[in-house]
Amino acid sequence: MAAYVCTRSFINKFKDSIRFIPRRYRVKTKWAATRPKFPATELALHNFDTSYGIQLRDLWPSIRVAMLCEQKYGALINSFSSVPNAIKDLEAQGCKDFISIDCSRNEVHQPSQDYTTSHRDSTELEPASLQPSISPDIKCLVFPQGDISRFKPARPDSSGILGYYLLDAASVLPVLALDVQPGHTVLDLCAAPGGKTLALLQTHSVNYLWVNDLSGSRTMRLHRTLQSYLPKEFLDESKIHITSTDGRHLGITEEKSFDRVLVDVPCTTDRHSAMVEENNIFKRSRTKERQKLPLLQTQLLLAGIQATRRGGYVVYSTCSLSQLQNECVVQQAISLAQQELGITVQVQDLRWFAERFSDTFHFAPQLNVGELVLPHLCANFGPIYMCKLHRMN
Amino acid sequence: MGTHVCRKQMVRWMWRWSVCRVAVSRGHMPFCSTQQEPHNANPSHTGQVTHRPGNQLTLCSLLEMGFSETQAKEMHECATNSRGKHVPSVLTALLLLGLNPSSILKIMQKCPEVYSLKGADLQQRVDHLRKMGLVEGSLQRMISHYPKVMLLPIKRVNMVSRLLREKCLFTIHQVTEILRDSPEVLEEDLAELEYKFQYAYFRMGVRQPEMVKAKLFRMSLSELRCRHCFLERRGLYQTPDKKGQTLIVNPPLKDVLCVSEEAYLAQVAMATAEEFHVFRKLMAKEQEEEGREDEYSSDEDEELGEDKDDEDDDDGVHRRKRHWKTGYKKDRK
Repeated sequence: MAAYVCTRSFINKFKDSIRFIPRRYRVKTKWAATRPKFPATELALHNFDTSYGIQLRDLWPSIRVAMLCEQKYGALINSFSSVPNAIKDLEAQGCKDFISIDCSRNEVHQPSQDYTTSHRDSTELEPASLQPSISPDIKCLVFPQGDISRFKPARPDSSGILGYYLLDAASVLPVLALDVQPGHTVLDLCAAPGGKTLALLQTHSVNYLWVNDLSGSRTMRLHRTLQSYLPKEFLDESKIHITSTDGRHLGITEEKSFDRVLVDVPCTTDRHSAMVEENNIFKRSRTKERQKLPLLQTQLLLAGIQATRRGGYVVYSTCSLSQLQNECVVQQAISLAQQELGITVQVQDLRWFAERFSDTFHFAPQLNVGELVLPHLCANFGPIYMCKLHRMN
Repeated sequence: MGTHVCRKQMVRWMWRWSVCRVAVSRGHMPFCSTQQEPHNANPSHTGQVTHRPGNQLTLCSLLEMGFSETQAKEMHECATNSRGKHVPSVLTALLLLGLNPSSILKIMQKCPEVYSLKGADLQQRVDHLRKMGLVEGSLQRMISHYPKVMLLPIKRVNMVSRLLREKCLFTIHQVTEILRDSPEVLEEDLAELEYKFQYAYFRMGVRQPEMVKAKLFRMSLSELRCRHCFLERRGLYQTPDKKGQTLIVNPPLKDVLCVSEEAYLAQVAMATAEEFHVFRKLMAKEQEEEGREDEYSSDEDEELGEDKDDEDDDDGVHRRKRHWKTGYKKDRK
């Protein structure tokens, strides 16, 4: 628990530097004498009830209760660490690597599919041999459905490298969908705090990784995370390039440079906004910022598309349920790319992907574009939206 | 005062025995522990009976009371095992209530501690319950379903009744109904009882009549909290604001509490059983951690306590209420 600090002296120290702190960071709840009359979390929930009640209808109550309860984590195994028996220890507690399980489940079905393909209609699922493989090097362990056990913090090995990284297991899905092949150059446009970046590095297929985030402090945090998880030789500038700029500029300066681009845009972070009061985006002082989000997201996605080489792939992901921030942004970006930049982008069908992981996650049925992982008490991951785009020219 | 009452009881019993003696010939329950036939009871026997407290129970007397052979055997066995000294007087008191032998047997099976009571105490407690408003019919039903109530001293019953009337502001009629429907309330810890009431009143915005109708006190606090928070987090229940208004229509309390879990899930919460089970586990964890946090924060608050502005603090309110961010005033309108 936090140590007791004498508040008066602290505030005096800060009085001079107060104007350098963005307004939204200034008041700290634990020092405030009164609680806000209309907490931002309530405003957030009210906003969600109104929009998602209509958008998701019968599914919304189950999602709402899951978002208001403790979320479920996954342990992303760090293959750079030499912690002995890290995986075995976790498995002994009852977790399983959902990636290998869900993929092997599919392979078990393969033989039967081969036999029956000839009998089936050609409009049925593609034969197993044509279905894309999923990077087997990424390992993420989760507790079984309905099990609410928590992970213990990761232990460092002899060189101080941590054994695993705790994150929302659904966050790994956009990285899996990106399907990085050996020798690829990858751009992570809004990388902080770095969970997806780590997952990208676990593929061991990245030749050159450009990691960017707008916020300087968050980029520092990302850098520190990478230092805890990667040996020094891998943090070489020639392998991992970390910048802290506006991602929208990278679309122009780094045109057609990358095989794969991950655009994990800033969003209303629904789960976080419903639970955490501090610096909540639904605060009245941040209303304008929140209303401009879809525009910012579209611009970032466009930049990501521009930065992709011809034939490359872009994965757009958010952690919000909002149609305005998900499907609408993707569709807007696609049409803008065509009309204003002459770039043709094709949406990739990820239904096979969703089906493969449907044992571990709850996916929303039938989205127009992309796939959406819904929080559910038995599988309290998400919300995560992802959409894979293919640059044709 | 106790002996006074005892003497009064003895007189009453003597009168009853004499009445019974008249009715003895018709086969009504005698109180003799001798082997003699009921209709052969002579006046000298009743005289003897009044002096002998009758602490020995025989099969014969049980049969005479109306028990069947098997019932009598069982009763006798349990009575001897319990080493109760006044079993016959206890049985008489129960019979006087109008309970039939099979009900009495069930009561004794449910609650063998009754054997160890004194008949006088039992009679006192029963009379006290009558004074609390439990009329014939309800009284018998309550005792049959919840025989433990007979083990509780009168003082305890009074304490609970006072809490319900003075702190929870239930009317006397409502208190009687609560005792009738949920006699287990008499055994509950008083602080927890009050907390449960405050949870329903402030956190759920429910008023006394609804609480009584929904048999609130039958449910444990954890189950109540579970069912309520499940609905609340699903968006199906809202705590009323200062004016008692909500944006949605809350389901009536009896629909939430008085139904089985399956019916609750199907009709009110509209969720699956797996969801609810996981939710229950999560709630238990949350409560456990809140309990630990309260231990730490109680020290912190004392140090930072300078200008705490608690507008919602009513008089005599339980400390935990402060975390419930409701402004709903405790008035009886």
